[in-house]
Amino acid sequence: MNVNLLIFLPIVAPVICGILCWLIPEHMKKIRSIFAVLCTMTIGWVSWKIFVSGNVSFTTTWFISTINFSLKAGDLSRFILLWIWGFSFLISIYVSSRMYFERLREFLTYLLITAGLASGAVLADSFIVLLFFWEALLITLYLFVALGSSENSVRTAVKSFVLVGFCDFCLILGIALYWKITGSFDFPVHPLCIKGMAGLSFILMVIGATGKAGALPFHTWIPDAAIDAPVSFMAYLPGSLEKLLGIYLLTRICLDFFTITPGSMASIGLMTLGALTIVIAVSMALIQKDVKRLLSYHAISQVGYMIVGIGTGIPAGIVGGLFHMLNNAVYKSALFLGAGSVELKTKTTDLKSLGGLYNQMPVTGICFLICSAAISGLWPLNGYVSKEMVIHGALESGYKIFAVASWIGAILTFASFLKASHSIFFGEKKENLKEVKDSNVAILFPMILLALLCIFFGLYSKLPLNMITGAINIGQHHDFSEHALNIFNMASGITFACLIFAFLLHRYGWLKAGKKAYLASEVVHNLPAIKTLYNLAEKRVFDLYVQGMKLIGALSIALYYGFDRSSDWIYEKAVVNSGTRAISSLRSVHRGNATQYVTWIFVGVVIVTIFMLIF
Amino acid sequence: METSFFALGTVFVPILGSLTIPLAGLVSKSFRNFWAVVLAVVTFILPLFLMRDVLQASTDKFIFYYPTIPNFDFILLIDSFSVFVSLVSSFIGALIVLYSIDYISHNENQNEYYMMVVMFIGSMMGLVFSGSLIFMYLFWEIAAICSWRLIGFYRHPLHIVKADKSFLITFFGAVVMLFGFIQIYDCTHTFNITMMQNVPVSSLAIFLILIGMFSKSATFPLHTWLPDAGVAPSTVTSLLHAAVLVKIGVYAYARLFCYTFNIPGEWNIAIPVLVMFSSLVSAGAALVEYDIKRILALSTVSQIGYIFLGFWTKTIIGVAGGALFILMHGLAKAGLFLCAGIIEHGTGKRDIRELGGLFKSMPFTAISFLACILSVIGIPPFGGFFSKFMVISGTVEAGRPGIAFMGLMVAVMTAIYLFRLFHGVFAGENKTYGHEGSKLMVAIVLILAILSLLCGVFIGIFGSFAEISACQLLRGIR
Repeated sequence: MNVNLLIFLPIVAPVICGILCWLIPEHMKKIRSIFAVLCTMTIGWVSWKIFVSGNVSFTTTWFISTINFSLKAGDLSRFILLWIWGFSFLISIYVSSRMYFERLREFLTYLLITAGLASGAVLADSFIVLLFFWEALLITLYLFVALGSSENSVRTAVKSFVLVGFCDFCLILGIALYWKITGSFDFPVHPLCIKGMAGLSFILMVIGATGKAGALPFHTWIPDAAIDAPVSFMAYLPGSLEKLLGIYLLTRICLDFFTITPGSMASIGLMTLGALTIVIAVSMALIQKDVKRLLSYHAISQVGYMIVGIGTGIPAGIVGGLFHMLNNAVYKSALFLGAGSVELKTKTTDLKSLGGLYNQMPVTGICFLICSAAISGLWPLNGYVSKEMVIHGALESGYKIFAVASWIGAILTFASFLKASHSIFFGEKKENLKEVKDSNVAILFPMILLALLCIFFGLYSKLPLNMITGAINIGQHHDFSEHALNIFNMASGITFACLIFAFLLHRYGWLKAGKKAYLASEVVHNLPAIKTLYNLAEKRVFDLYVQGMKLIGALSIALYYGFDRSSDWIYEKAVVNSGTRAISSLRSVHRGNATQYVTWIFVGVVIVTIFMLIF
Repeated sequence: METSFFALGTVFVPILGSLTIPLAGLVSKSFRNFWAVVLAVVTFILPLFLMRDVLQASTDKFIFYYPTIPNFDFILLIDSFSVFVSLVSSFIGALIVLYSIDYISHNENQNEYYMMVVMFIGSMMGLVFSGSLIFMYLFWEIAAICSWRLIGFYRHPLHIVKADKSFLITFFGAVVMLFGFIQIYDCTHTFNITMMQNVPVSSLAIFLILIGMFSKSATFPLHTWLPDAGVAPSTVTSLLHAAVLVKIGVYAYARLFCYTFNIPGEWNIAIPVLVMFSSLVSAGAALVEYDIKRILALSTVSQIGYIFLGFWTKTIIGVAGGALFILMHGLAKAGLFLCAGIIEHGTGKRDIRELGGLFKSMPFTAISFLACILSVIGIPPFGGFFSKFMVISGTVEAGRPGIAFMGLMVAVMTAIYLFRLFHGVFAGENKTYGHEGSKLMVAIVLILAILSLLCGVFIGIFGSFAEISACQLLRGIR
């Protein structure tokens, strides 16, 4: 096959396969599941072929002579593409093993179409092609969330659609402004300096990218979706795919579309957004008592590290941010899948109702613990390497406050995962959970693989780091892997101190709560001023969607009564009422009297004659 | 055959043909239905030949003169834009006539119904091909009379009041517009729009003409007749909202203000603000209303703002976006109204508070409805994405990013009220019994939903034609 046409396969083939999946009848569901897994595997192999083929591209004129349909498997695109299909393959195996899952047909269809659209978004080499695939993902996002069995699923689906849609619309405007400056919708050869209209374009594009990745303040659909949507969706979209896409675009914005210099306003702005995302989201994660909600807040919080890293504008930070994106996708997927495995066997994800499952679910337990350690940044796992790189980047940028935010994040992340792991797998065994056994191999396989990757990418970070440094343009070649696991430096020392503090915090909270692990975070929760903030957050005072909807509701009522109904009232009065009166008065003179009619005609003729004589 | 033959046929086959429908009704009901469908389909097929001629021709446009009395010549102006709009309108019109066969089958006065619908389509054809202001006005008013009869079709006293209201507002606008035309005639001494290009026009004339356009295309503050017209049969409301009536105003805007005159500077500032404010007001109102048809009607008012905005930009991308918007919105909105018809038919209700959980009993209607709302919101791969994106880009190119931002905020509100509508009808608790529409009705809404999708997937075909139209339109004033 022509290698340039090969680039279409990861986009078109999954959409066709997804439709075929939908068409396979219900009594052949095993065949459908096998078909879906084979599809993801085959297209994953195609992605590998594209990955090793080098810069494959395709361009043709699209719907207007100045607009091209351009695809290009650039270095970073190929790298992300590979991981999109890696995760799609693992999730398809995980989901297919749950044959009783009544919405399996829809899930597999959406999964394949989502992967195809995501592939299109990363392979796009023009802004409009990017937008086309990027925004189309809104549909599968909505459909995925609506698949949930909760009564609020549909409402949450709309929430996710509106919030992510708003970010996408910002991206549209950002792109339109960029086009106004450069005069082309193709990806630029030379990045723009961030000033004037370009600055506005940069901000809008960043909202589009970080909104998709799940950063503050457009994140609030994710915790809701954790409860209302299938857990495998959480592992797939907010857990991995959206992070890959959002951070991919942010990297392109910061490296290829605009020039970000360390210490610039853009750099500081991005790092501030990242730092706030880390601290606020992880603070919310700490007090959660449902493991899925807890994980969802971590899915948001971890984006903060990536944004801080990329925002530094320093090679160590950028590569660290991208490596963190990959690592987060790996362990976050595994953690959601682990939570799903626990839910499958125990029918609950409430930490209070769980406990002592380690002996009954050892493989799930080990995988969950490894991934918890990785996300907490424990040495020598992958999370440690990427977080340290981000912290080093922040320190190197000269703004230590962002490194401090990362350390605060590290404390609270570890504390919350100690709570979660402790509550689920250790402590008192619940009576109703004594018969529980571990999940089957198909469910465990993706988790095992991802947990092993956490270890491998930690111990042998050279491979992913070289892939990332080769995929982006950061000037001279850097080899960050040499010092990746170095613990004899100040930053690592502070990190270790943070982790020890987090352990002590958990232990103190656990003892204070009468050895109830799920209440271990209450010591922080009940701190005087913090408690008020938490209460406000729980009441959704800070939920942009809830407040935005209230605002839109009030605005709508004002517009409706102030303009729509009031103008209609005028028509009703002026047109309908006066028309009715005029007609009834005219009726009153039509009495059927011939003499009267002749008189009217005569008067009319006189008036017309006078009028014509005057004018 | 000659281009003029196809152009005359496109206009007069439906207009004169509609007069024969009551005669066909004397033969039999089914023959009358068949005859109405034939007329509507022929009205769609004839512009296809015109499209071929326009694309193959070496000139931008064909102009045919048919002398009547001095200064009142009947002039046909055929260019890619008029052919584009006629194709969209006649295609949707033909689908609506087809859908009507089942929808209207239990009602009385069907002869009148089909006659008015086909004449309505014919008046639109006449308007788009008119090269004379006076004939444009004539067809404009024929459409108004047809819509007046059709809105009050059920003869309920309240419906008649609403029909009168619609007629009076649009008629008032049209008369005011006629004064504007007379002002222009005073300067140019002709009603032939091909001979008045680049003529400076007074602000007052623009104002008067805009009142006519805004009243017909239901733009704030002359919009409230359109939601009230929801008392008409669903097929008719589709015609009013999607294919014909509200497009008359935007077509006239494009023809006069993109092709013919240069708008004075102050109007260049006022128009985008006015149309986007209209979109915002109607989007806000749609979030408060509960009646399906009223919500969809307000959605039309809201979306019309984008079309005006696109044509206002006078940039290739904006004008092409406006032209594509006519197509994409026409398909999706027709789909939505016809779905509303199926819902009303199947449940007897239109209030979303009394509906819910109909997805299971009306799956095809629900899927079509969802596809159409995605297109109206502007989500790819549906066609609505491209048209909205082009209008927004055109607005930015025209130097008004603030208005473009407002446009995007309206798009967010569109998503909110349309999903509120979708969930109110199809999701949640099942509050009422409902059944799927007839095979023909469901097939039509599915076709419209699929076309909304295909127009996005194969945007290259439609986009390039819209671009040619935009280039030709803008060449008129350059």
